[in-house]
Amino acid sequence: MARLFPIRHVIGYIFSLILSVVGLGVVFWDFNPTAGLWILIVCALIQASLQLVLFMHIGETDNKKTLYFNIAYALFVGLVTIFGTLFTMLWGW
Amino acid sequence: MKINDSLPLEYRTEENSNKIFGFWLFLGAEIALFSTLFAVYLTLWNRTGSGPTGKELFELNGVIWETFLLLTSSFTCGLGIHAMRLNLKKPMIVFFVITLLMGLGFLGIEITEFVNYVHEGATLQTSAFLSSLFVLLGTHGLHVTMGILWGAGILIQVGRQGFTDETANKSFIFSLYWHFLDVVWIFIFSFVYMKGLM
Amino acid sequence: MKWDEFFVTGEPMIYAAMVSIVVVSLAILIGLTYFKKWGYLWREWLTTVDHKRIGVMYILAALIMLFRGGIDALLMRTQLAAPEMKFLDAQHYNEIFTTHGVIMILFMAMPFVIGLMNVVVPLQIGARDVAFPRLNAVSFWMFFFGAMLFNISFVIGGSPDAGWTAYFPLASLEFSPTVGNNFYSLALQISGIGTLMTGVNFIVTILKMRAPGMKLMRMPMFTWSVLITNVIILFAFPVLTVALALMMFDRIFGSQFFTMANGGMDMLWANLFWVWGHPEVYIVILPAFGIFSDIISTFSKKNLYGYKSMVASMVVISLLSFIVWAHHFYTMGAGVMVNGFFSITTMAIAVPTGVKIFNWLFTLQKGKISFTTPMLYAMAFIPIFTIGGVTGVMLAMASADYQYHNTMFLVAHFHYVLIPGTVFGVLAGMYFWFPKIFGFRLNEKLGKTAFWLIVVGFNTAFLPLFFLGLSGMTRRMYTYSADTGFGPLNMVATIGAFILAIGFVVLCYNFYWSFRYSPRDENGDPWDARTLEWSTPSPVPVYNFAKVPNVKSMDALWEAKVNGVPLYEEGPYEPIHMPNNSGQPFILGVIMFFLGFFLVFSWFIPAIIAGIGVVVMLALRSFERDHGYHISPEEIAATEQKLRGDSV
Repeated sequence: MARLFPIRHVIGYIFSLILSVVGLGVVFWDFNPTAGLWILIVCALIQASLQLVLFMHIGETDNKKTLYFNIAYALFVGLVTIFGTLFTMLWGW
Repeated sequence: MKINDSLPLEYRTEENSNKIFGFWLFLGAEIALFSTLFAVYLTLWNRTGSGPTGKELFELNGVIWETFLLLTSSFTCGLGIHAMRLNLKKPMIVFFVITLLMGLGFLGIEITEFVNYVHEGATLQTSAFLSSLFVLLGTHGLHVTMGILWGAGILIQVGRQGFTDETANKSFIFSLYWHFLDVVWIFIFSFVYMKGLM
Repeated sequence: MKWDEFFVTGEPMIYAAMVSIVVVSLAILIGLTYFKKWGYLWREWLTTVDHKRIGVMYILAALIMLFRGGIDALLMRTQLAAPEMKFLDAQHYNEIFTTHGVIMILFMAMPFVIGLMNVVVPLQIGARDVAFPRLNAVSFWMFFFGAMLFNISFVIGGSPDAGWTAYFPLASLEFSPTVGNNFYSLALQISGIGTLMTGVNFIVTILKMRAPGMKLMRMPMFTWSVLITNVIILFAFPVLTVALALMMFDRIFGSQFFTMANGGMDMLWANLFWVWGHPEVYIVILPAFGIFSDIISTFSKKNLYGYKSMVASMVVISLLSFIVWAHHFYTMGAGVMVNGFFSITTMAIAVPTGVKIFNWLFTLQKGKISFTTPMLYAMAFIPIFTIGGVTGVMLAMASADYQYHNTMFLVAHFHYVLIPGTVFGVLAGMYFWFPKIFGFRLNEKLGKTAFWLIVVGFNTAFLPLFFLGLSGMTRRMYTYSADTGFGPLNMVATIGAFILAIGFVVLCYNFYWSFRYSPRDENGDPWDARTLEWSTPSPVPVYNFAKVPNVKSMDALWEAKVNGVPLYEEGPYEPIHMPNNSGQPFILGVIMFFLGFFLVFSWFIPAIIAGIGVVVMLALRSFERDHGYHISPEEIAATEQKLRGDSV
């Protein structure tokens, strides 16, 4: 039975639950909005990396450099789209 | 056909290894897709017109359950792949069935939530905020729906054929998809619900 | 909905078009039946998964669309030839400039480029096919039926009329109440999904399917440009997918993304459109750069100057292309920071592009240049494209752009980059690789005649527009009065457009002439070229390479010819594994067409049925067990014997 629950996966799961609870925390305790937002950003990024590395095994093949490059490029485009849109349409007036 | 025995079953043929690689690229495109939806949501989220704001609308209970179900299903999906690599068919199927059931549970809560919103008069047509909320959540929900159908189809094939190059490959690619949907949900949880309720 | 709303009525020109569509369709059906070609069409083309045939179908579709878009252009130029023309009314003119733009960019330039990629890339890297041949067929049929859905709007329901950029609020239900822009959102969506899958397919192909020894830095420049283009496709097209989906929700389901009330933000559409739209410009131009690089190096008999800097500049362009989009709407009223930032990034793109121009010039320097038709296009490209590039830098300056914005100056600028860049590029590529696919060259004399007509016609048509723009003529106005003084230059431009059109007619005649009379090519390498695709016999057999080539340097075929480095190892043939043909991609395309069509008219129940059909097709594919077939060594030997007249 124990071999069905490898330690990496269990740790990943526990961490993701903890990080979600921390995320919930910003609603229950009155943080100032900026601090709350930063907590959310950090927690979400750690959780996403946990999934990528522990669950999706991004680093397990010879392709890993290309795969990391793929994710990095996607994040570049994604962040440019999000922050560029906010910059152009809201902040830059 | 080149076969490399040192790799897990799902990677062994060149074609299957390429499929996994190609799917990762597709997930890169999905990151761009959801980023655009987030860009739209974050631009419009306080443009509520005459409709309700997020703070008035969101209910924490449903969101907590949704998050718990999806996180756990991602965990069990990973366990399913682990069991597959140990060549244990029955545990793999059990883990995948749990995964899909939790996915269904998630969808059930999300649909109930949508119905409640509409009953409170918050529809797709009400305001820019609600349009972007429904489309962002709906796109994720549609992905989950497709995932459930796809996963069920793969389970049938694993049940019939056992672990072959092909079924192992399909199951692994499905697991990538499912984990990815969990990642998207984490961002929805954080930047739609938590940020909205803050 | 009444029937007279369903079909477009009241225009003699459209009635004539309807009649001709019916006549041509009937002629095709009768012809296919009479010559008993239905089986051939289905087995050899509609169900094919062969990258070469898919490429040919892409290019054929692109040529047809070139003529549709070209006729739109001639209609527009006729209307503008003189002041107060009554040839087209305002609404008709709006529809025509909209369809001209959409068709030329998305249904002509894109498929032409993708068609050449399909034909050439696997051959250049020594592969037997693309990574996912079946997916490739799906991509093609999604594109094809998307294009058909768009074109059908001409006679059913009405064409979109809000410009190819479809800015809101003009494209909203309030100001464009016909179903025209529904066609726009759904047709582009369907073909866009196909393009996205092409992106995945070609990245995997180029990164994973290269022949042994073909390191990344040994790849031909066209393959490099295709790799980078597909990276841009992969990350830019999802943005279009979202933008089009939101447009569809606004127009069909009443959401409030881009509306003027309830918090909607009309300019958010423009923003999303150009987040995709600017990378799109590089998607159609980079492969042309690659084509010119290969052609210039082949016909100068030199290897490409500055190979590494060519690659580096394309990588830089691909990154910069994602951070310049707001230069398309400087006049929106954003602050100094926004316009300043996007001005600087836009001007920065001129640097890597300039690097490429100099590399081409240095490749030509002291080369043994032969002026073939493809080379003529490449030589014309360099100076004319530079005019387009330099006027682009003028437009990049936000404060100056307030003067040029939405004038004919802009129209002249982007035609000066897209025509010498993309159109000359794909035409050059077509002349260059044509013998690889069909086994004979297009006639050089006719090719050169067409070239001169096209170059002279193009410059006559578009150079005047710079001056018209500077003197205040805005784009998209359907007529003007005589006292504006725009008349004479417009007349010159119209004459140029017709010279350009004659050039394309000559180009078509060249196909006919060459199919009949052109001498057949003997050795598969008619241009004395440098890269792997020319080491195969022409026409290329279905398996491409009888033996997988062994690459030891850049320009491997040239090395083999000059220094005698063998490309293929001695020894017997081995069986080749090939994918089976399938009708599923075609059927999926048909269902997507109907799904789109029903949604255009908000017929939800048929649309849901078609949607279920799509899911069923996906399930069928998942449950299908198809392991392809093998070609035996004896069969390979026989084929090679027949094509080469000897054995390798």
